[in-house]
Amino acid sequence: MRLMTTAVLAATALTAVTLVARPAAAQPVELMLWHMEQPPHRVARVQELINSFNAAHPDIVVTQEPQNWGEIYAKAPAAIAAGTGPDLLFAIPDFTPILKDIGALTSVADFVAELDAEHDFVDSTVAAYSYDGGVWAVPLYNMAMSLWYRKSVFEEAGIAVPTTWPEWKAAAEALSNDETWGIGLPANRQLYTDQTVYDFMVNNGASELYNEDGTIRFDNPQTVEAYDFYAQMQAMSPPDSTSWTWGEAEACFSSRACAMILQFTVITTYDTQAEGDPEDLGVAPIPHAEGQDESYTIAYPNAVMLLSQDEAKREAAETFIRYLLEPENYGRFLNMEPGLFMPVTADGATAESFWNDPLAQKYRSQIEVMIENAQNGMLFGFTSGRTFPSIAAISAQNILAETLQRIVVDGESPADAVAAGQARMMETIE
Amino acid sequence: MSRGWAWGLSTAGVGAFFVILIGLPFWWVLSSAFKAPQEIIARRPTMVPESFTLQHFEKLLSASAYPTYLANSMLVATAATLITLVLALPAAYAFFRMDFPGRERLYRAILIAYAFPTVVVLIPLYGMFAAIGLVDSLVALIIVDVAFALPFSVWMLRSFLATVPKEIEEAAEIDGAGTLTLMVRIMLPLVAPGIASVGIFAFITSWTEYLFASVLIVSDSNRTIPVGFSGIIGQYQVDWGLLLAGSTLAILPVVALFALIGRWFVAGLTEGAVK
Amino acid sequence: MRHGGLLPLLLVGPALLFLAVVLGAPLVQAVVLSLEDVKVVGSEGSFVGGDNYVRLLEGGAFWGATLRSLVWVAGNAVLQTVLALAVALVLNERFRGVRIARTWVILSWIIPTVVVVMIWRWLFSNSGGMINPLLIGLGIVDRPIGFFSDPVSAMATLIFINSWRWFPFVALMMLAALMRIPDDLYEAARIDGASTMQRFFRITWPLLQPTLAVLAVVGTLLSFNVFDVIWLLTAGGPSAGTQTLPVLIYETAFKGYRLSEAATVSVLTSLLLMGFAVLATRVLGGAQR
Repeated sequence: MRLMTTAVLAATALTAVTLVARPAAAQPVELMLWHMEQPPHRVARVQELINSFNAAHPDIVVTQEPQNWGEIYAKAPAAIAAGTGPDLLFAIPDFTPILKDIGALTSVADFVAELDAEHDFVDSTVAAYSYDGGVWAVPLYNMAMSLWYRKSVFEEAGIAVPTTWPEWKAAAEALSNDETWGIGLPANRQLYTDQTVYDFMVNNGASELYNEDGTIRFDNPQTVEAYDFYAQMQAMSPPDSTSWTWGEAEACFSSRACAMILQFTVITTYDTQAEGDPEDLGVAPIPHAEGQDESYTIAYPNAVMLLSQDEAKREAAETFIRYLLEPENYGRFLNMEPGLFMPVTADGATAESFWNDPLAQKYRSQIEVMIENAQNGMLFGFTSGRTFPSIAAISAQNILAETLQRIVVDGESPADAVAAGQARMMETIE
Repeated sequence: MSRGWAWGLSTAGVGAFFVILIGLPFWWVLSSAFKAPQEIIARRPTMVPESFTLQHFEKLLSASAYPTYLANSMLVATAATLITLVLALPAAYAFFRMDFPGRERLYRAILIAYAFPTVVVLIPLYGMFAAIGLVDSLVALIIVDVAFALPFSVWMLRSFLATVPKEIEEAAEIDGAGTLTLMVRIMLPLVAPGIASVGIFAFITSWTEYLFASVLIVSDSNRTIPVGFSGIIGQYQVDWGLLLAGSTLAILPVVALFALIGRWFVAGLTEGAVK
Repeated sequence: MRHGGLLPLLLVGPALLFLAVVLGAPLVQAVVLSLEDVKVVGSEGSFVGGDNYVRLLEGGAFWGATLRSLVWVAGNAVLQTVLALAVALVLNERFRGVRIARTWVILSWIIPTVVVVMIWRWLFSNSGGMINPLLIGLGIVDRPIGFFSDPVSAMATLIFINSWRWFPFVALMMLAALMRIPDDLYEAARIDGASTMQRFFRITWPLLQPTLAVLAVVGTLLSFNVFDVIWLLTAGGPSAGTQTLPVLIYETAFKGYRLSEAATVSVLTSLLLMGFAVLATRVLGGAQR
C-alpha cells in the first residue's frame, strides 16, 4: 500500500503544480472563443492571431477553447442554457438555426453590412445566415469540395481528367485493380457522406431540397438518378468506406490505395504524409451528369456567431472580428489550413498575406483551381435564396447519408430509398 | 496436480493465443508510434518498424497539453478512488456484517443504482452542475465517477467481508471492543487486499470515463486523458502518427502505475474470491 | 449479529445519500422531461402527458434498439465468458511466469476506452490497418474486408472490441473462483480414475456456477450501458445496425433535438434495467447470504 500512497502523492503534487501555474484573472473585457478547428497546427495559428490581437488591444483578452464537431451539438446548447457558453462560436450554416431557436442569437445585420461595405462579402456566404428577418452570423471562410487525383496515375492509365459522369465511371473502372480502389467514396451516416452525396445531386440538377413554400421536394427523378450513380461509383470504393469520415478518405488517397477522392483539400496530408510533390497532385471540378453544362460542388461558408448579450463583450467581439477580416491578418487566418479555407471577401482573395504562406505558394495552382470550383458552390437547404432553418434537423440527423445507406448497406432500390428519405425529412421538420 | 501432456500442450496453445490476442495490438501501437507517416499508412504494414522517428511525440507535446491531461486524469481518478472507498467501506460493513431494519431494501436500492443507464443522467446532471457552478470543473467529474463506481464497489466488498469469520468479531466484542474499533482495528486490516482491488476498480472506472468528461469539461486546461485524446483525433484529417503517439502516452502511465500496484489487484481479487 | 440504533444507518447513509442526489434526482428530472415536449436542450416545453410514451411504444425505433441491445448483451456475455473461462483455466495452472501473467492479463482493461477504440479503428481500417493484411496473409480472405460495412459484421466487430477490453476483468473474477476450489477434490477424482475432461465437467464447472451466475448479472448491466465504444466506432451505424438503447438516447437528444423523447427512452430503459436488477438481486442473494 505504501507504493499506492506514493503514487497518490505524486499525482496530487503534479496537479497542484498545474493548478498554481494558471494565470490570474485579468481586468480587461474577456472573450471566450470556441471553434472546431481542432488540429494542432490550426489551433497554433489561431493562437498567433489572438496573441497579436491581445497585444494590440490591451483592453480585450481573447482566449480560445477548441471544441469538437462531434461533441459541440450536445455541448453548446447545454452550455448556453447553463450560462457557461462562449462569447464567440464558429458555425456552419446548419448549426446556426439550432442556437437561434433557443434564443441565443441576436441579429448582426448592421455589423455585417458595415463589414460588407469595407471588404465586400461573397453574397452567397451572407445569404446562408440570412433568414427570419435577421443575419445570424458573420461569414469568415469558405470551403468547397473538389476531385483529387494523381496526374501520374492518370497518365499511366491513359486517362484524361473526367468531366462527365460516364467518363468518370470509365476512369474509376480503369483505375480499379488488385492494388488500388478506383475511387474512395464514403457511405457512412455522417456529415462527410451528406456532402459527397450532395456533390452528386447538384451535378444532376437536384440541388433543391425545398419547394418555394418550404415543403420537401427531395423525392424527384434527378435525386434518384444521383443516388443510383453514387451507389455504382461507391461499389468501387474500399469496403471500410461505410465507416469513413474525412480523414479515412485522405489516408486512402495518401497511401495511394484510392485513385481518386472527393475532398475539400488533401494538401496538408499529401504534403506531410504522402509524396508531397506539387507537380503530381491533381485537382479538378467534380464531374457532372450528361445533359448538365457545368460542374457544381458543395460549399460551406463558415461563420462566427456572437453569443454574448453583454454590451461591452459584443463590442469587443466585433473588434476582434474586424481584426480577423483585415486583409493583412485575414490571409494568416485562412492559412491555418493552407488550401482549405478560402476567402469570403473580395479584398481577402487578393490579400498578400493569403498567398505568401509557404504551402500556399507551393500548391498555388491547386488552390487557384479550388477557389474557382468554389464559385459554383451550393449547400443543401441554403440554395436559390430559399433558406429554411428546419434544414438543421435534417442535417443533424444526416438524412442524405442515411438514404445512401439504405441503398448501399440494405440493398434497397434508389427510388425506394429516396422515397423513404423524403418521408424521414417530412417527419423531421414537422 | 499432475495432468497429461495433452492438457499441458493445449494449455500452452491457449496461453499463446491469449498472449497474441492481448499483446499483438499493443505491439502494433507502440512500435508504429515510432514509424514515419508513410510507413504507418503503407498498404503493406510492417511488423517491425523500418523507420524511426520521434516526430509524432514532438508534435503531440508541442501542440497539446498532454502532461496537463495526464495530471488531471491522475487527480480525478485518485480523488474518485478515495471518496469511493470512504463511502463504500462503512456501507458495505453495515450491509454485510450488521443486521438492521430496512437493510435488504436499502441494499437493493444500491444494486438498482448500478443498473442505471449512464446516458440518462447526462442532461439533468449537466443542469444541476451548472446551477451550482461546477461545469468545467474537475470536482464535477469526481462526483460523477464516484457515483458510477460506488454501487459495484459496495457489492465487490461483500465477498471480502464475507470471508472474515464471525468468531473474530465475537471475540473482539467479548473483549469489550466497540463497533468502530472493531471496524478499524480488526476488519480493515483483514480486508486490505479487497480494499486494494476495489480501489483499483474505482480508479480505472474514473481513468477511462469519456462521455461525461467530454460534455462537462470545456477548457483545455481541465481536460482528462480520454477527452484530450479524442481532441487530437481530428475531424478532417486523421493523423495516425499523432494518435499512436497519443495512445502510447495514454497507455504508459497507467501501465507504470499497474506495474507498481497491479499485483495487489490480482491478489486482492483472488484472496477475497467472488462467490 | 443484531445492531439496533443509528450506527448502521450512519454507515450506509452517506453512500445512499450520495447516490440519491447524483443519480436519483436526475432520474426524477428525466421522468418530468418525458411528460413534456422539450426539443433542444435548454428550450422550454409544455406538459403533454403520456404522448411520448404512446408514440415510442407504437413506433419501431425503440423496439429495434431494444432488440439490438439484447443482441449486444448476449453477444458480449457469450464471447466474454468463453474467452475469460479459457484464460482463467490457463492462469489457474502452475507454470513459470504465472504471477506475471496474472497481473498483466488485465492490460486491455486499464487503458482508456477512447484509446481502445482508436487502436481497433486503426487495426481494422483499410489504410494501414494490420488485420486485413494478416487475414490475407493467412489465406482466410483474398480481398480486404470492411468490418463495419454491414450491420451484422459491424455488430460482431463491436462485440469483439468491447469483449477484448472486458474479458480479462471477467477472467480474474473467474480465476478467483477457480482458486477457491480445493485441490483435494481434484486429487480424489484423480484417484477415482476420472479423466481431465471428467474432472472439468464434474468438479470445475458445477462449482463455477454460482460465480458465473453473478458475473452474468453484473456483466449484463455493465455491457448494457456501454456507450462510448459504439458511439465512437460506428455511431450506431451502418443503417442503425448497431444502435442500442444508450445510443438511441444520445442520438435522439443531441442529433434529433428531441430531448423529451430521449428522456422517454431513458425512463423506459431504466424500467427495463431495474426490472432486471430486481430479478437479479434474487439470483445474487440479498445482503443476508
